[in-house]
Amino acid sequence: MSSRTTPASPGVLAPSEPPGRRSLRARLRGVLPVLGSLQGYIGLVLVIAAGMLTKGQVFWNQQNLTNAVGAFASRGILAVGETLVILTAGIDLSVGSLLGIASMVSALLLVHQNLNIYEIVPLCMVVGAFFGLANGAATALLRIQSFVVTLAMLNVVRGIDRMLSDNVSVGTQLINAQGQLTPRSAQFQVLGTPGHNVFTGLPLPFVGRAGIYYPVLALVVVVVVFQLLLSKSKFGRHIYAVGGNETAARLSGVNTTYVKIAVFMLAGLLAGFAGPIDAAYSASADPLAGSSYELDAIAAVVIGGASLAGGRGSIVGTLVGSLILTLLDNVLGLNAISDNAQLIIKGLIVILAVVIQRPDFFRALGPAVRRLGRLTRTRTGDPPGEVASGSPQPQSATPPLEESR
Amino acid sequence: MKSRRWRLALTAAMLAPLAAAATACASTAPTSGATGAASKSQFVIGYSQSNNAEPYRAQLNIQLQYFVKKYPNLKLLPITDAQQSSAKQVSQVQNFIAQHVDVLIISPNEPAPLAAAVQQACNAKIPVIILDRSVNNDCYTSFIGGDNVAAGKQAGDLAVKLLPNGGNVVELQGILSDQPQIDRDKGFREGIAANPNIHIVAQREAKWLKESATPIMQQWLAQYPKIDLVYSENDPMALGAYLAAAGAKRAGQIKFIGTDGLAIPDGGIRAVQQGQMAGTFIYPTCAEQAAQTAEAIVSGKPVQKTQTLQVTPVTPDNAASLYAQYDDSKFQS
Repeated sequence: MSSRTTPASPGVLAPSEPPGRRSLRARLRGVLPVLGSLQGYIGLVLVIAAGMLTKGQVFWNQQNLTNAVGAFASRGILAVGETLVILTAGIDLSVGSLLGIASMVSALLLVHQNLNIYEIVPLCMVVGAFFGLANGAATALLRIQSFVVTLAMLNVVRGIDRMLSDNVSVGTQLINAQGQLTPRSAQFQVLGTPGHNVFTGLPLPFVGRAGIYYPVLALVVVVVVFQLLLSKSKFGRHIYAVGGNETAARLSGVNTTYVKIAVFMLAGLLAGFAGPIDAAYSASADPLAGSSYELDAIAAVVIGGASLAGGRGSIVGTLVGSLILTLLDNVLGLNAISDNAQLIIKGLIVILAVVIQRPDFFRALGPAVRRLGRLTRTRTGDPPGEVASGSPQPQSATPPLEESR
Repeated sequence: MKSRRWRLALTAAMLAPLAAAATACASTAPTSGATGAASKSQFVIGYSQSNNAEPYRAQLNIQLQYFVKKYPNLKLLPITDAQQSSAKQVSQVQNFIAQHVDVLIISPNEPAPLAAAVQQACNAKIPVIILDRSVNNDCYTSFIGGDNVAAGKQAGDLAVKLLPNGGNVVELQGILSDQPQIDRDKGFREGIAANPNIHIVAQREAKWLKESATPIMQQWLAQYPKIDLVYSENDPMALGAYLAAAGAKRAGQIKFIGTDGLAIPDGGIRAVQQGQMAGTFIYPTCAEQAAQTAEAIVSGKPVQKTQTLQVTPVTPDNAASLYAQYDDSKFQS
């Protein structure tokens, strides 16, 4: 992917540059492939443009964007883990259930054990990683297809979740005898209850002293960390290798079993990390929390340009896919589109986004556009009666264009 | 020749149960009451639940177990959970029929798919009690359910009371095709019609989910500078909207009305008690009436074909006492 992306970013390819700037250019070259081709951002730009055109300031303000991204943050984090699994040509259907059990565990630890968030979040990550490890072991060691393993795990984990909770949702806003939130409950709120931020009071860029909404921060940090892991580490290259051609990867010395187990475990770890965010967002853990989140996560990954056949995709792409999904929802909601119409529009736009972001989309479109352009030029130049006769003329000009492809 | 005869015999053997089943369906007419069962001392009840994983239904299960225990001559078999699958529920009901339970209680998942299974129970002369949701077959002995239109109507009346000068209302809806959603929406509109200055400025489907209601409410808060009241067709959605409003520091200007009124720490009654919601309505679980009706059936007493139960309004004044009355832990043993 990286070799293809560099030509698409114009500013970098200045033909001759003074040697002093070479280091900057080299540095830019190092970073830009991580961001992927500019084409990958077209869908996002279109959604944002639609929001700004129809709603202006109501859409494009920090509060609304924070709300929109925050609502999807836990699913975005799931999507990052899902990307790793999909890159190895596997799939993880259990991430929604893993998020559910992690959110329930976080609420139970808060309510019954009165732990603080620095204890709760790591414990939830351990829970998620444990089930992820089970997924990975069954897939890599028992050689069961990951679709089957994780579909089974989806049910197993949901069952455990429902047993833990006795089918009753667990609230995280505990009130003490004075009618105040208990200190631990108040602390738990910063994990994502709307209106509660971290780093408040610090003069931060962009957000000021209001602080940062933790789910958004968590999503960004997870994206950065895992994108660097993928593009800068040996392990990341091994993930692509396993997804590209597992046999070739194994023969060239990659421990494919280890890589597969590791990606499922990381997906579980991230689901465990996202669980408390989901619980704090709703100020309660529902026994059904996270149901069907796996579908949103997979959709974000695919819209972000990853191939379900493995070997192609990036974490930044997945972030773009997540943003498209949640901002689209936001724009449609702000425009008060009816619920039934929203389903249709969302479905169609998702397909459109995937098509536009294909690497070869514009190359395939190019000749057609140029032909259309010539046709209109002919039309305006010629008298109206001779439009049809104008068509043979451009055809003669077509072959050189075909060669350029 | 021999093999063909074998095949014929085998086919006949396979078809026999089918034929028997077909004639059984055709022959018997539905009956009510447990005829000739009065001589027994212990009667077995089978209960088919549509989905354990809803707090309302989890509460129903707990309460039914509690109320059945009050009658020494009744015994409740383990409750089956259809997990929202009508096909699963049909086979579970058929299992109860095969065990020949004395009374069958069903919370149907969907009206149409369960009709045939209910007919089989009627044919087997098993009295059937239907809870809450309707079924496309009226051979049952008794239907016990709450009145969702009335629940919506009372919420509308409360809105009129809370907004004497009128105002802007937003409505959070459950899954649009669910009957309780349709009925509660209808009732609410009837209720607020009393004051023409009350306008529903927006309505959205939040699928009964708290986590879906929060972003929707955030969008509304961004769009409408003046929202006076949120009507939500269940409590979790109302509380999700409350979180959004509290996060935007606008919860104080907005009244929240919910429905369901579960007596759990995370439920609607507590939220009214804590001042997050202006009111909610306890939608009856029907468990107590179901146990009563089952007892009446086995002891040969007459039962009403349709029992409609009213919702109980929860206000900041009565919330504490209602919570104590309906508290789940009271029913657990």
